[in-house]
Amino acid sequence: MSRWFWWFLLAPQTYLAAGLAQDMGLPTFEIGAALCLYLGWFARRSALPWLLLGCAISRALVDEASLPVQILVLGIPVCVLLPLRTLFVAQRWLWQAAFAVLLAYGIPWLAGTFGRLFQEPSLGAQLHGWPVVWSAVFVPPLVWLLRHIPPFVGFTEPEPVFGGTRR
Amino acid sequence: MARKSAAFPVGLYGMLLFALSWLTLPMLFAPLERWLVGSACLLPRLASSWLGEPAKAESKAALQLISKMGVELQQRVQDQAFVGTGFFAQAAAAAEAAGAAASAHEQEAADALLMELAQSQQVLCTVRSVRRRGGGGAPSELLLEQTYLELVGCKRLVTKGSALVGFLLQPGQPGAARDSWHDPARIMLANHRYAPRLFAALELRDRERLRFVVRPASIADPAPLVVDLWDEPYRAARLRKGGEPVRTLALGENGVPTGLLLGRTLVWGYESESRDAPALPIGVFLEPAVAAEALSHVVLWRPLQPVEPPPGARQAMREGPTGRQARVRAQRVSATTFELPGVSHGRHLLVTPAAVPDGAAVVQDGLFLGSASGLRFGASLMTSFGTSQRPWSLLFLPRHPGAEPVELRARVEATSAPRDSERGLVRLRWQGPREGQSPVRGRGDLFTGSNGAFCPAGLWIGRASADDYESDLMHVELPGSRGPRHVEVFVAVEEDR
Repeated sequence: MSRWFWWFLLAPQTYLAAGLAQDMGLPTFEIGAALCLYLGWFARRSALPWLLLGCAISRALVDEASLPVQILVLGIPVCVLLPLRTLFVAQRWLWQAAFAVLLAYGIPWLAGTFGRLFQEPSLGAQLHGWPVVWSAVFVPPLVWLLRHIPPFVGFTEPEPVFGGTRR
Repeated sequence: MARKSAAFPVGLYGMLLFALSWLTLPMLFAPLERWLVGSACLLPRLASSWLGEPAKAESKAALQLISKMGVELQQRVQDQAFVGTGFFAQAAAAAEAAGAAASAHEQEAADALLMELAQSQQVLCTVRSVRRRGGGGAPSELLLEQTYLELVGCKRLVTKGSALVGFLLQPGQPGAARDSWHDPARIMLANHRYAPRLFAALELRDRERLRFVVRPASIADPAPLVVDLWDEPYRAARLRKGGEPVRTLALGENGVPTGLLLGRTLVWGYESESRDAPALPIGVFLEPAVAAEALSHVVLWRPLQPVEPPPGARQAMREGPTGRQARVRAQRVSATTFELPGVSHGRHLLVTPAAVPDGAAVVQDGLFLGSASGLRFGASLMTSFGTSQRPWSLLFLPRHPGAEPVELRARVEATSAPRDSERGLVRLRWQGPREGQSPVRGRGDLFTGSNGAFCPAGLWIGRASADDYESDLMHVELPGSRGPRHVEVFVAVEEDR
């Protein structure tokens, strides 16, 4: 129960924390890509709906569109990534970087599409070049960090062991 | 052996389905969103107490300048709305051009209508919002700040300059069946499902006139209005080029005089395979002269001789508003804004004990800062104007004295976030102005138009200038400052009558 309390207390501040880092000089990157990769490849499946809600609340704090749009914008990539969990056993950072680039394009595209469909425009729908590059650089180490810090560590699925190899 | 895991998370898909349901029934789930996002604002609100003392208003000189500009805007809006009734001259020209083609009865009816309008008082009304999709998928209704009771006695006709806007509804009539006399008045535009058919004419190159009947188009049609019947269909079939102005004719009993600008033609059909052969027109549509989303003010006509109010209105005057009919007005209350981290997002935490409605304007002594989304626990979120991606109804006031304010519909295209004392620069892509209005040129000041009940027209945004190369682009200079600020936000207050 306490892990849920800490999740809904701290997870919604994720986007604000990323914004604070950017204000302090860190390059702008798509934090949603890190969240989607964590949820799609490392989080406990049974907890996914509520974990997604916490991440969507976080995006709703910094984006003009409403909360259900944020649920769709982050949830659809998670649904796409989830079946790939069984394929990428070792979860190499190269794969994470590649998908971070795809997500850095996909999340703004989804935000723009749903914004047009439901008349909920958002600043997050604008695509810029450099954040895509920085996403490939920063998202893999950030995902590793998220897996080891609270409140994310409480919802990380134990890694499978294959023939003695463990990452 | 790799563990096969189920890749079909029912709960996750259920959450997405719930989100879709939420989007189709936003009013039902709005309290849930306020609770969830409002609770997430508790931590930032706690942290805001370490952010220093909020800055108060601008200097006295700046406040006086903003106030003076607001007064000038109101004066110029009134002048142009009341003076721009050039349709009287157009009507005279149209009557002369009709000549023998118009019957004596038609000419008499046209003259009588014009005489009535010439003896009427013009009433400038403020538009609160647009609503209800009609022909062409465009809005088909305007909601005014004034109530039906305040507009008792006014004619149905609603104009803007020399253009026809629509018709004033009355409580109990189709389109306003559930309205009471104390509700904000509604105007149905020409593309409303209950709008009457209009008689109009198009002047051809050989100075002959083609007359026709115009009706509201369907939602899926390419324009809000469509030509229904032609007096000379074979001549109409030779129309190829669109963009010709169309003016009304006083032929029916809908109270529309001759000469009002209705819109411009849009010829829709098959393109020919060869350049020499003409295309095959299938239908002629009309793009209205007035863009409804850009409207901030309209003109109604009240006869100088008082008219007996309808029985329903007399009863409403005697009884006064009751219960649900109590009028809600917008009032400013004090609040404080704190910037949320990530200045590029342009999001601020707005702290006030009052319940803030969605879309409420946040101002600092006449300076428009942005619009708010109401949450719970005394917190709201404000998106600054420069970073908001929603479409805005705006008023551009040119610097030239006496120049007409221009109504626009615009969206922010790009912005540079204000840092410290530097000014923020915003690029706006706009639509408009309406037919007959002066184009946007040179420099001026930008104000809000009507963007809902809690975001009124006339709030100063910043200095604006038209782009030198792109005709639909404007650069706006926003007064920039950082840090917490004392502001005011518009909230709903019930009026005691």
